[in-house]
Amino acid sequence: MKPAPFDYHAPATVDDCVSVLAEHGDEAKILAGGQSLMPMLALRLARPEVLVDVNRVSALATVRRDDGSLVVGATTRHATLEKDPEIAAAVPLLARVAPHIGHFQIRNRGTLGGSLAHADPAAELPAVVRVLDAEIEVAGPNGTRRIPAADFFETVFTTSLEPDELVTAVHFPVWGAGSGFAVEEMARRHGDFAIVGALAAVQVRDGRLSKVAIGLTGMGSVPERAEAVEGALTGAAVADLDLTDAGVQAVTGLEPSADVHAGPEYRKRVGAALVTRALTHAIEEASRA
Amino acid sequence: MMPEAPLSHAAAQRLIGQSVQRREDARLITGRGRYVDDVVLPVMLHAAFVRSHSARGTITHLDVSAARRHPGVVAVFTAVEINSPSHQFWVTMMGPDAGYAPGRVLADGDVRYVGEPIAIVVAESRYVAEDAVELIDVDVDPLPPVMDMFTAIEDSETLVHPELGTNVAGDMPADVPGLDDRLAAAPHTFTETFHQHRYVQVPMETRGIVASWDRMLEHLEITVSGQSAHETRLFYSRMLGIPEDAIHVVMGDVGGSFGQKMFTQREEHAVVIAARAIGDRPVKWIEDRAENLISGGHARQEAMRVTVAVDDEGVLLGGRAWQLEDVGAYPYPGNGAAGASSLALFPGPYRWGGPGSVAYHAQAAFTNTCGRTAYRGPWMMETTGREQMMDVVAQKLGIDPLEIRRRNIVSRDEMPFTSPMQLQFETISPAETLEQAAQMIGYNAFREEQERLRAEGRLVGIGLSSYVEPQFGFGILATEAATIRIEPSGKVNVYTSTGNHGQSLETTIAQVIADELGVPFDDVRIIQNDTARTPYGAGTGGSRSAAIASGAAHAAASSMREKVLQIGAHLLEASVEDVEMHHGVVSVRGVPGAEVPLGNIAAVAYLNTDALPPGVSPGLEVSERYKAPSFMFSNATHAVTVEVDRVTGRVQILRYVVSEDCGNMINPMVVEGQIVGGIAQAVGGVFYEHMVYDEDGNPTTTTFLDYLVPTAAEIPDVELGHVVTPSNTPGGYKGLGEGGAICAPAALLNAVRDALAPLGVSVTEQPLSPDRVLQLIVDATGE
Amino acid sequence: MPEVHATGQLPTVEVDLTVNGHPRRVRVEPRKTLTDTIREDLRLTGTHAACEHGVCGSCTILLDGDAVRSCLLLGVQAEGAHITTVEGLASDATELTPVQRAFRECHGLQCGFCTPGFVMSVTALLESNPLPTDEEIRAGISGNLCRCTGYQGIVRAVRRASEIIAAEGRGEGV
Repeated sequence: MKPAPFDYHAPATVDDCVSVLAEHGDEAKILAGGQSLMPMLALRLARPEVLVDVNRVSALATVRRDDGSLVVGATTRHATLEKDPEIAAAVPLLARVAPHIGHFQIRNRGTLGGSLAHADPAAELPAVVRVLDAEIEVAGPNGTRRIPAADFFETVFTTSLEPDELVTAVHFPVWGAGSGFAVEEMARRHGDFAIVGALAAVQVRDGRLSKVAIGLTGMGSVPERAEAVEGALTGAAVADLDLTDAGVQAVTGLEPSADVHAGPEYRKRVGAALVTRALTHAIEEASRA
Repeated sequence: MMPEAPLSHAAAQRLIGQSVQRREDARLITGRGRYVDDVVLPVMLHAAFVRSHSARGTITHLDVSAARRHPGVVAVFTAVEINSPSHQFWVTMMGPDAGYAPGRVLADGDVRYVGEPIAIVVAESRYVAEDAVELIDVDVDPLPPVMDMFTAIEDSETLVHPELGTNVAGDMPADVPGLDDRLAAAPHTFTETFHQHRYVQVPMETRGIVASWDRMLEHLEITVSGQSAHETRLFYSRMLGIPEDAIHVVMGDVGGSFGQKMFTQREEHAVVIAARAIGDRPVKWIEDRAENLISGGHARQEAMRVTVAVDDEGVLLGGRAWQLEDVGAYPYPGNGAAGASSLALFPGPYRWGGPGSVAYHAQAAFTNTCGRTAYRGPWMMETTGREQMMDVVAQKLGIDPLEIRRRNIVSRDEMPFTSPMQLQFETISPAETLEQAAQMIGYNAFREEQERLRAEGRLVGIGLSSYVEPQFGFGILATEAATIRIEPSGKVNVYTSTGNHGQSLETTIAQVIADELGVPFDDVRIIQNDTARTPYGAGTGGSRSAAIASGAAHAAASSMREKVLQIGAHLLEASVEDVEMHHGVVSVRGVPGAEVPLGNIAAVAYLNTDALPPGVSPGLEVSERYKAPSFMFSNATHAVTVEVDRVTGRVQILRYVVSEDCGNMINPMVVEGQIVGGIAQAVGGVFYEHMVYDEDGNPTTTTFLDYLVPTAAEIPDVELGHVVTPSNTPGGYKGLGEGGAICAPAALLNAVRDALAPLGVSVTEQPLSPDRVLQLIVDATGE
Repeated sequence: MPEVHATGQLPTVEVDLTVNGHPRRVRVEPRKTLTDTIREDLRLTGTHAACEHGVCGSCTILLDGDAVRSCLLLGVQAEGAHITTVEGLASDATELTPVQRAFRECHGLQCGFCTPGFVMSVTALLESNPLPTDEEIRAGISGNLCRCTGYQGIVRAVRRASEIIAAEGRGEGV
């Protein structure tokens, strides 16, 4: 199970990365953590002519505050998301989600930018950026731009990135006091991609849900936001919430696919229950905060 | 009850029965094992295969010319160069007349399963070989594949092997006169069909071989990841018409097998033949994981319909089973092969109605899938079906599953006991293990707790499974040999015919030798897996090594000890009855200072032979071949408690208990490891692992992303209890290597059956994925 | 940027790295995995390839101190890195690390093929979490697959290694 041949570049700057991408377009692939790309190369499902290794671009590995946002560099490792106290304080959902990503050996290499660009609908980080309405900063030959998470994921393994662009950072809004976050997953084995997962981010003010965001993994070709439910819950009194119904509503209308691990009915049924659990825990946390 | 913390052997007195730390570990934990992929030879080449993407069809076009021209490629061979009508494909264990799939090395004119090798590329590196594989043009006109074993056996038109005229791979009809009347006359009869899915061995080390043909010496050198060096040599000698002694087969460290590597298969044959064609350059093939999952050999896919007749108390009066195995296109060995064993063992540890009360019809079907290979207790469906049926009957009669077993199970007091299939049990203890397992798991207390939890709507259950495990000792499996050579220095080299691949034989046989001969453990070295150095034997498999290899070790040690004491007595001017040997020193009992070390005795035996006593031959080399009884048996009972999550369908294992009887244990830690390893494979099979084909015959679970091997987080702690009923063989050991995998599935399935019983759910299929379990619950409750 | 030379059929890259404390230089095609680089070019065959797609963990090494799957790295990516393989843990069988000692004491291996990967992962695990609970142990080793042991001996080995390390930290022999 050996990769097909390719040319290899390991640039030191973002501009150099962009040059190579601009020159080769579709024939080039970015190597970040490698945890998703390398198996595809080994199985020869991916056969790029050029590999652009971004691990030596130090500018992509920084984490900084910028006003009300936390700006996390694209090559930030999952392990950093898991353990960095600054990230845990500013964007708790990232720190909450990270331990669910595979195993620690994978987290030592896998990156935020790589996970987003890979756009696996079963993955956690794409769902996180959707739930938090993060912005994905991207560099290309025409300069940098920011893509709202809602516009970033097009379908399975497909984003709105152009072939000559790369993710450079993600801007996460920092939620204020009274916030709560939760992630609930159902995976076959410890560390597996979840068959279905639910993420909840809420803010409680004066006993009411002032803000609520619900995300789902494994329920479609992209990470899903349960916007209709969010609308129904926003402003409601916490004491009046029917979270079981919210879970059911959250999966209504979704058409998850079947695979060897589970069918669509299973995903919807369990997804609903996980949304309920996630909301329950997030609201509990928010009410204590 | 856990074995004591393992001893470093220096501290122990008698080693047999102690959890001695393993010899093997020093090299394996420091990364200095020598597995087949670690073999690196000058001018070595690497092979890769072109494989079929169709399950069934005609090859209309095959062009390897571009691959042959690719830089770094040395040769590309197809059936034209590799196959020959003179090739013999039969294995010694089964004999030439056992009935096999039509033998061929590479696909020739047509393909019969996805993954079937069509061409072999030999190149300077595996990377280059895989590049060249992509340059090979293969066109196949697909035909509808035979995918369903039930329809396959009836279908005489759509054939996996047209030359056979049938898809029936094996048929052992059951004809037990009078049984039908007996069943009809019984107060109750029940029938149920149990299904088992396809799952596979997944050794961590895939298959692999290095083969080299010396043109000048006309000598074939093979290193292979396998279970028997001698059988490999014998096989290739026959297959290729080369004299046996022109072939040398070595197995270094082998990274697990579980039966899959018991016989070399077509890829290895192709590598050997390619190496011969190329000449003077070793050719290495290391199977990759996708190849191993798709084409390495499959197992377990079968169905069993059981009818049992019982009285009002649940006492088994008689029964009939029909078993159908899906053996794929090219099964090894022979066809099916498990049916004959399942048949013999189906009655298990129960009395039934005596001789003539049980009939078993075993059938096997060819399909256009990867062929069936042996997997740890290949016949285990007999236990999986029987033990589930016990619980089904218990449920129908309203009798507790523990109680129904009590009323039927054989106890040690009834030995010797002849089973309805004429197996002679002499030293088994099923009832004793049933009681110990029930006591260890706290069966009655669990039932009370279960009532309480059920009232809360929780789904908890307990499952039992009791079984008898055979060690086969007929044909090639009847003997094992050991040669002991004490070197002039006094060190002890022991050459055995075993084929260790994780069973700790380097340690356990050394324990036996050290104790029986009377030498320090550190002075004993075990050499196996090498046709040039070791006695002929079937290798390791079939749970036989503890009993049969130790039988040989005991016999050889005993002979050697006698000779050494004779020489020692002579040198000490004492009579033979008065001398003994401990820790490599022969001494006169009760006379301090009157001693001679083994090294001195050896020096005399080899170098100063005039000093030998009259009538004693020079040298210290003894060979003994031990003939085992045709069958020996160990037994165990497994008990497990589970909780089923109503929301996700996930099954959580709460406690897992085993009461086992393998007679005397050479090394309790090794025994435990074998049992727990087998149980882990059973947990994997019942809940996680599923080798899935689509309806067009394409395997869909071809990487570890889809074929789910359980991790440490999915396997429970296993608590072990031991009942000790020594066998009637030297040492009193009994083999048990396969037992965990044979007995556990039924226990797990019964536990889930019990957990879901209040919902009226019928559990007769596997695997029990969360999706399937949830579906069962939803279907039953309408929620 | 490492030099690229064309030798044989495809271009190769020179890579300088530190292996088990020693500076080494290899020349590999860019597509060659780090596992294959370690096994063939560095001739350290203790690291095993059992799946080549990043699931089983048999290929685990330490890269700049972190446990990683070497089959998911290219050899060229190790330029300038410090890697530790299983051969780098103990100089010989008489100087086993606590983790290695524990594996032997607790029968944490049978065929041994997955063992180097486990030893490397457990070494890293205990460095970051020296006193894991049983649940943390099972979760922590769930990134490595074993087919022989059923994990029970391995879990015991991790517990035992933790004990040995703690005792050595206190200056006691165990």
